[in-house]
Amino acid sequence: MTVTFRLNGEDYRFRDDPMTPLVDILRQEHFLTGTKAVCREGFCGACTVHVDGEAVPSCLKPVGLLHGCEVTTIEGLSSGQEALHPLQAAFEAADAVQCGMCFPGMVMSLSAFMRDNPGACRAEIKSAMVGNICRCTGYERIVDTVVDCLDTHRQTTETAGSMNV
Amino acid sequence: MAQSVERSFTVAGSIDEALAARQQGAAVLAGGTWMMRDPLRGVDLPEAVVTLHRIPALSEVEVDPDHTVIGAAVTHAVLGRALRGLAGFEALVGAAVGAANPGIRRVATVGGNLCTLDFAAADLAPALLVCEAMVEMETFDGPKLIGISDFLRDRPTLLADAILTKVHLRRDLIASAHIRLPLRMAGDYPVAIVSIAVDKDKRFRIAVGSVEAVARRWTALEKALADEPGGFAPNPERAAELAAENNDFHGRDGTEADGWYRRQVLPALVKRGVAALLKTEGQA
Amino acid sequence: MSELSATVMNLPRRDAQDKLRGRTKYTIDRVRPDMLHAVLLRSTVPAGRIRRLDVSAAHDCPGVRAVATGADAPGLYGIGIADHPLLAIDTIRYHGEPIAVVAAETEAQARAALAAIVLEIEPLAPVFTMAEALQPSARLVHEDWRNYEIITEGGARAGNIAWEAKSSRGDVDAAFARPDVRIVESSFTVGRQSHVPFEPRVAIGSWEDGRAHIQTSTQVPWTVRNVTGRVMQLPPGRVRVTVPPVGGGFGLKFDASIEPITALLARMTGRTVILENSRQEEMATCLCRENAEIRIRSAVTAEGEIVGREAVVLMDCGAYGGEQVFLTTMTAHTLGGNYRVGAMRLVSRAIYTNTPPNGAFRACNGVYNTFALERHTDEICEALGFDTIAYRKKNVLRNGDLGATGQVFEADVLGPMLDRMETLRANTGTSEAKADGRLYGTATTVGTWFVFVGPSAATVNLNADGSATLVTSGVEIGSGTMMQSLPQIVAGQLGLAPDQVIVREADTDAAGLDVGVGGGRTTVSIGAASVAACTEVKEKLLRTAGEMLQTRPEDLLLQGGRVEISGRPGSGATIPAVVAHAQATTGPISGSGAFTAKNTPAMSGCAMGHFIDALDIPVFVVHEAEVAVDPDTGHVEVLAYRVVQDVGRALNPRAIMGQIQGGVVQGLGYALHEEVTITTDGRIAQDNFETYRLPLAPDVIPVTADLYEGAPSMGPLGTKGAGEVPILAVGAAIGCAVARAIGKPVRQLPLTPPRVLRLLHERETQPEFPHIAPGWAANTLG
Repeated sequence: MTVTFRLNGEDYRFRDDPMTPLVDILRQEHFLTGTKAVCREGFCGACTVHVDGEAVPSCLKPVGLLHGCEVTTIEGLSSGQEALHPLQAAFEAADAVQCGMCFPGMVMSLSAFMRDNPGACRAEIKSAMVGNICRCTGYERIVDTVVDCLDTHRQTTETAGSMNV
Repeated sequence: MAQSVERSFTVAGSIDEALAARQQGAAVLAGGTWMMRDPLRGVDLPEAVVTLHRIPALSEVEVDPDHTVIGAAVTHAVLGRALRGLAGFEALVGAAVGAANPGIRRVATVGGNLCTLDFAAADLAPALLVCEAMVEMETFDGPKLIGISDFLRDRPTLLADAILTKVHLRRDLIASAHIRLPLRMAGDYPVAIVSIAVDKDKRFRIAVGSVEAVARRWTALEKALADEPGGFAPNPERAAELAAENNDFHGRDGTEADGWYRRQVLPALVKRGVAALLKTEGQA
Repeated sequence: MSELSATVMNLPRRDAQDKLRGRTKYTIDRVRPDMLHAVLLRSTVPAGRIRRLDVSAAHDCPGVRAVATGADAPGLYGIGIADHPLLAIDTIRYHGEPIAVVAAETEAQARAALAAIVLEIEPLAPVFTMAEALQPSARLVHEDWRNYEIITEGGARAGNIAWEAKSSRGDVDAAFARPDVRIVESSFTVGRQSHVPFEPRVAIGSWEDGRAHIQTSTQVPWTVRNVTGRVMQLPPGRVRVTVPPVGGGFGLKFDASIEPITALLARMTGRTVILENSRQEEMATCLCRENAEIRIRSAVTAEGEIVGREAVVLMDCGAYGGEQVFLTTMTAHTLGGNYRVGAMRLVSRAIYTNTPPNGAFRACNGVYNTFALERHTDEICEALGFDTIAYRKKNVLRNGDLGATGQVFEADVLGPMLDRMETLRANTGTSEAKADGRLYGTATTVGTWFVFVGPSAATVNLNADGSATLVTSGVEIGSGTMMQSLPQIVAGQLGLAPDQVIVREADTDAAGLDVGVGGGRTTVSIGAASVAACTEVKEKLLRTAGEMLQTRPEDLLLQGGRVEISGRPGSGATIPAVVAHAQATTGPISGSGAFTAKNTPAMSGCAMGHFIDALDIPVFVVHEAEVAVDPDTGHVEVLAYRVVQDVGRALNPRAIMGQIQGGVVQGLGYALHEEVTITTDGRIAQDNFETYRLPLAPDVIPVTADLYEGAPSMGPLGTKGAGEVPILAVGAAIGCAVARAIGKPVRQLPLTPPRVLRLLHERETQPEFPHIAPGWAANTLG
């Protein structure tokens, strides 16, 4: 079976078993190893990618369901020498990263969450992280960083808004 | 990587097409969140699958004043958004926005949740039980409508020659609540679930999930509440007492919790459920 | 600028950006299309004898390039005793034990070929628990235990007792016989904890110029090198180990396990071979923090003085001795720590069972012994009517007090730290109001740990561009040591900026011996070796500059990338100019340094079977928890968590705070959520993320921490490792707080909701140990 979808902005045609999990195609065929296959059961979130803009686990996504979809991986979020996503830059500045294996998935989940929930509070951020496990950091610095990022974003938007007036 | 290049994968564009594939032995692939874990359980993936996600009617939630229809391919996330704020659907919304984790909720569907036979902790089952939902199936002999209780009980045979297509809901509830008890704050399958609702006739409906292998109505407790002198005036403590007196569940033993624990926590969940109902009604 | 002010800073990590962009290539990300994939045939019974193992048909399966069994790698390895084969030889000792391995072009081909292996096993009656293993009639897990090579002398051994370590100081019998004492006895039992590093154990082996090269996700490149040499019966020098960035270790990767198999297959095939554990395999064969059973008795006067203490600690090592053999040592320093005790005797035994082998986990042994000691201390307070905090203040170790092995502790540390905790609590306030009708409890506990020193080597090359290259066998496992404290230390010594210090990835061909990243030792041991290397570099640099500037070297100093004449800022020459001059005259500038333990003395005759007689660098913690317990469901919510940690010197305070938050949360997992049980057929029941419950974001709270500086340390600039200990006293603080909240004795961890509800309903079976004899001496091999 042939499945056609867009991967990080380019057309891709897959010809093999449609039940192949997306994460295997990313890692084994494209060497896009930023997407990590940690639990393969949808609990850890390390394999999170965007499918049509939604953050979903790629371990449980059979490629057959992706026909016509737009898939973005961590490598596609800020490629080449492009600037980091503001959340990535904030994690770097805050010294939030330890072993780093969970962070690509964390960034993919939380970047979509911040886009959709710019007014989120701390508890809502934590709820959004239920499917992203981190074994090193104890989470709070990650949460702090998202809180700070959303605050900065709100201030920027408010400033821009008042200038428009 | 999976090896069978010969696998049949039908992306059905219509219910007829889906049924035809089913008749040829294809398994229904919903969001994939359960089936894709089969290899880790030592189970091979099916040789032939059919998906419903391209059938427009099955990916919608239709909300009419007195009738709501949920397509089988609707995800938990979409369901939660569609019904949020509608009085009476609080339990269903709670189930849809509380199940598993956010990534899974964006993928896992209503049909998948109801048709996974081995999944005792499905959140939607008790929530739909208190809604007294009707399940629409497409069988080889035509469409069929069946109550959710009967569906859950008989689904191993029913699904042998049918596809669950839609879930129908009436708007006859004043308020409802969904109380789930994972062992952490969230993220693991709840060891016990109580859905509770009060209908326009002030009758209470209570359903329990995850305690036994299949979710069911707690009719003994419903009757006890109805038999309270003058009808049941919602009181969390009294509800918990009656729940303890009428606890006729046989908790299943699992790695995460034993049967004693699942059964033991039920009165507390009922208490929380009644308290949540009071809060909802207070706001209404 | 002083050396100290040039070193201490909140340096961010240099590896963060690549990790955030998904560009970092961990070992598991280095699969190439031309590699062979290896898959293990693992035992599906917990105990048995291999009657037939015929792999010939597997050789003929499509894509198969090699099949290996125990006969291909007959050497045994271990810690203390060599009892462990790479692949089972004749005997199966645990469910999941590797028996054979297939290397094929694809993983699917390798997996398919496993089915062609003919294996016949005669099952044996398994020994699952320490109670069973200690029965006089118990079947021996290792029938040949007497014939094993002893790698380290001194431990008593017998049958299923893999190793026994004892410490004995003073006349304990006399102390217990005193008429003025109350005797308090407590028993505790704890389960295993699985590390769950996000990168599982994985290795890539190749065979190059007659030598093995293993790239692997390990904390101990030198151990992997040496074990590979042992099992393949090669001189270890014929094995090279390099270590890419490691995706979490927490102690799991402090021993060799599957790595040598890749070298074996590479030698057989001439190809590069990758072997990775699936998540299920990783969890089913995790070298967990061991389950343990502890009985402790104390003789306490009416004033609260602990005149006598004795304890028996049983540690389940699983099927092979592994780390537990070494860790029997730790009981003297953990259970024997915290308090001033008159006379004391402790015995710690590693017991063989037919269960997956256990291993090292962050603050190994200390976590549960601290739980046991602190709960026991609270039981003493309850029995004699003491306030728990006042009691601790009065009885914690002070300057000049003796440890279990007769070591003399220096300086008052725990006492002032308890005072600092009071200040911290006064600043934060308490959280009782958040309990909101639930059962509330709070507890303040203390803990004693140490920095595991031991040999490290470092070389520093000063380059013509003014940068320095630091070459060590240190590994970056996520804690940031190789990214933060080491470049900070080297930069501070040489007057450079940390980003001018290049840190070489661990390579046993490039750097000298190192015992590995663990026990909080890297900053101390590799740091000290690096300082020594820098001393040589500085000496050469200043001598060359002295010639160039016609100035005596002692009048020169290094700062801001220059060699300056003392008192004349901006004078002298740049480091690149001096290096260029040296390269042209005396040759490139480099220095090497080494470090090892100073072997702090114990009292003669006090320690038997110990790998460490006394602590070179003790580390202390004070942990305080506030909890709310739901009486209806048994759920424990942590309302507040406070830490005062002895860090010696904080080189990167922000990074240490990150370690404290992460370590405390792992401890919360151990105390409340993470449960490992053994099934009736000897498997770890929780072998996936559905059943093994790691703490998630909503389960945790921000930890408030105060870094206590100034306690004595032989570490560079007075530092102590800070990443190991944050987990130490979490089980203790939570256990004590929950006991107080529910008003029942807590004697087991983890405190999952079902266990807490059983405790509340008095349905929980409290630990009783018929296999621990009433008299202490009867629990020793004499």
